[in-house]
Amino acid sequence: MKHYVIKRLLATLPLLLGISFLCFVFINLIPSDPAEVALRVRQTPIITEGAIAQMRQELGLDQPFMVRYVRWLWDCLHFDFGISYTNPTRTVLGEIARCLPATLKLAGLSPVFVIGLSLPIGFLSAVYQDSWFDRIMRGAVFATTAMPAYWVGLLLIWLVSIKMDLLPTSGHGGFKHLILPAFTVALTYISTYIRLIRNNMLENMREDYVLYANARGLKQRSIFVRHILKNSLQSCITAIGMSIPQLIAGTIVVENVFAWPGIGKLCITSIFNRDYPVIQAYVLMMGVLFVFFNLAFDIVQYAADPRLRQERD
Amino acid sequence: MSKVNWFKQVFCACLLTGSVLLTGQQGNAAPEAKDTLNFVNYRDIRDLNPHLYAGEMYAQEMLFETLVDITADGYKPCLAESWEISPDGKIYTFKIRKGVKFTDGEPCDAFAIKANFDAIIENKKRHTWLEMMHLLEKVEAPDAETFRITMSQPYYPMLTELGVTRPFAMISPKAMKDGSTKDGVQAFIGTGPWTLEEVVTDEYAIFKRNDSYWGEKPKFERVIVKVIPDNQTRILALEKGEIDLIWGKNMLDADALNKYKNSEKFGIELSAPTSTRQILLNTTNPILKDLNVRKALQHATNRAAIAKGVFHGLETPADTLYAPSVPYCNIGLKPFEYDMKKAAALLDQAGWKPGPGGVRMKDGQPLAISLLYNSNSVTEKNIAEYLQHEFGKLGMKVSISGEEEQSYRDNMKNGKFDMVFNICWGTPYDPQSSLSAMRQRVYGDYAAQLGLDDKAEIDKAITAIPTTTDKEERQKLYSYVLTHLHEDAVYIPLTFECNKALFNKNLKGVGFTQTQYEVPFTQIYMVQ
Repeated sequence: MKHYVIKRLLATLPLLLGISFLCFVFINLIPSDPAEVALRVRQTPIITEGAIAQMRQELGLDQPFMVRYVRWLWDCLHFDFGISYTNPTRTVLGEIARCLPATLKLAGLSPVFVIGLSLPIGFLSAVYQDSWFDRIMRGAVFATTAMPAYWVGLLLIWLVSIKMDLLPTSGHGGFKHLILPAFTVALTYISTYIRLIRNNMLENMREDYVLYANARGLKQRSIFVRHILKNSLQSCITAIGMSIPQLIAGTIVVENVFAWPGIGKLCITSIFNRDYPVIQAYVLMMGVLFVFFNLAFDIVQYAADPRLRQERD
Repeated sequence: MSKVNWFKQVFCACLLTGSVLLTGQQGNAAPEAKDTLNFVNYRDIRDLNPHLYAGEMYAQEMLFETLVDITADGYKPCLAESWEISPDGKIYTFKIRKGVKFTDGEPCDAFAIKANFDAIIENKKRHTWLEMMHLLEKVEAPDAETFRITMSQPYYPMLTELGVTRPFAMISPKAMKDGSTKDGVQAFIGTGPWTLEEVVTDEYAIFKRNDSYWGEKPKFERVIVKVIPDNQTRILALEKGEIDLIWGKNMLDADALNKYKNSEKFGIELSAPTSTRQILLNTTNPILKDLNVRKALQHATNRAAIAKGVFHGLETPADTLYAPSVPYCNIGLKPFEYDMKKAAALLDQAGWKPGPGGVRMKDGQPLAISLLYNSNSVTEKNIAEYLQHEFGKLGMKVSISGEEEQSYRDNMKNGKFDMVFNICWGTPYDPQSSLSAMRQRVYGDYAAQLGLDDKAEIDKAITAIPTTTDKEERQKLYSYVLTHLHEDAVYIPLTFECNKALFNKNLKGVGFTQTQYEVPFTQIYMVQ
């Protein structure tokens, strides 16, 4: 076990190095000159070539590519991600620290919606397969998967905030402000999980152990909950593990619609403003998150499933 | 237990969870009182240091003031009560208003103003876009009420540049970092009608009335500026009453405004033209370098139809690069009237003969050009599609493409366009600063004009304008430049863009000032 964990941990190092290099390379391939964009974003009335040269020097862009990469990597290892090009009074780390809590709130409430809705709906759809409920839900799942989050968000604001006057339209305040954006983020996952749970349960229902349980005369309720549901949830748990970083990375559009001051909004603004240090830090952070969650859930599975251990040992 | 019971139980549980979530804890709602104006912007106010350019200009205007004000009736005293210009036009002596204090209690006398100028001059390189920075010889404060600027040469837009918030607005010397502002300031302390009470980055900023303000005091006690980046969400927030006023050039599109034209709950205001929407023609392009082709395009552009069809009449058609109301620009240029026959005749004359598939040909080449627009702008795309169709009727194959703002600008700068959408800078930068910028390689204008035979003479005249003291002589130079650019047909003017406001009808006094970025918060009030 210990060996396995150490081996996996060491294997992530070259992966992270690769991620950092690729994210640096790709961002530097964007054609715009970040120095010039910084001047535009800082609203300099007339941009002269002299001003661009001065800005390039100020931002350290006059250095060769590899020098910049090594310097950046070295600083990153010391948790120094540089200074934002567009807001020179702010550090990138400070910006991420400012925005991350808001996104974590979103990413924290969304799974509640996901689990709270997809579990009962998926369960009922399987139990009452082909009933009116199942049919409606199947239609709804298709519809919500097809609708872009941007549009859903606006529809929800219109319906819930304006027509029903229940919740605020946007902004970051109390719990009320959180509900609509979190639900919008959750919607895509809800439809995925409903299908996943429903299909897994239907598969399990055909297994021999269900037949045996029925033959034993167990209560229907106990068969469905204790046996079928429990067995169906295993694959969902792995999927949820990988959904966590996806939830954090996937809030970009929703944050923009709901004026939610999170990391997704920071990222999109930085992309439009060619704010390299912020984009690099964001991509690196997401890379690390995905690697970490992948690793953590692999280890959990390894610990939980004796078959895996035997194979690998 | 039957299946049906089960279903009911789970269903009730879901409903219960839902209702608990919905009725959960209350958010910290904004104070709903008529002494507070809820304003909105698409982004944060950012760094309001008045000597740099990173902050939102309307917010800087709320906190900081300049020596003079630019108004529709010319220059008005602000922190300077009066001023004198020496006969040779080189020495400006300002008499500073007595008793004005920064909101931290520091007096705003000539010494404080000198400290501000010193801080600005220390960072001279950042401000070289202002011609006056090159001509500035010295600044002095002989006593608390006198402030003097000496120039090496006379410079006519001097007072305009001093009246622009950045970089010549005054911050309390106590808020500077050892007398310097180029690396940031400690606090945003000015003399203006508002003070900054609270900021939560990317969420909101609260401005409080400065009760010791020397001039006309604002009627609202507070202005809360909320950050809502999405256009649609902003309008929904206005509908819900979470905000009272949406104000600005790019905050509202024509369709949204048109929807509220006859609304009982919301009012609309439009400003006088602030700047001109236009299409830049690249004169280095083999097809567009021919003056007849450029003229044909001018005649084929139905400006009135664009103003009506795309802008629902909210913007007016533009016949010239600058509106006649812009200083020095009312020179009676003859517009290129909409006339498809004339356009076709010009193309014939240029040697472009009707060819297969309705596309004109010359020397085996089709008459095909591209039109680039900024994909962030909804209206530009609409106009592009309209023009593609219109120019198509002439036998011209137009391919249109949209790019995200920064790459769109890069293409302009690098001259990678045949035709491209562009916009004038507007007040108070037109015409002096925007003409001056045409000589800079970083703008599309430069690339577009490169193929003109008279480019060198035009640039020479533009360079001479600011230092020409004789008004008549100056007008002659402006007329020369504007006439040549017009006759060269490099710019297809489309419509005059204006500032737009959409607001709760209880709000009174919503309007515009001479400066396109200044929101006149002081005059706005609420009736019940």
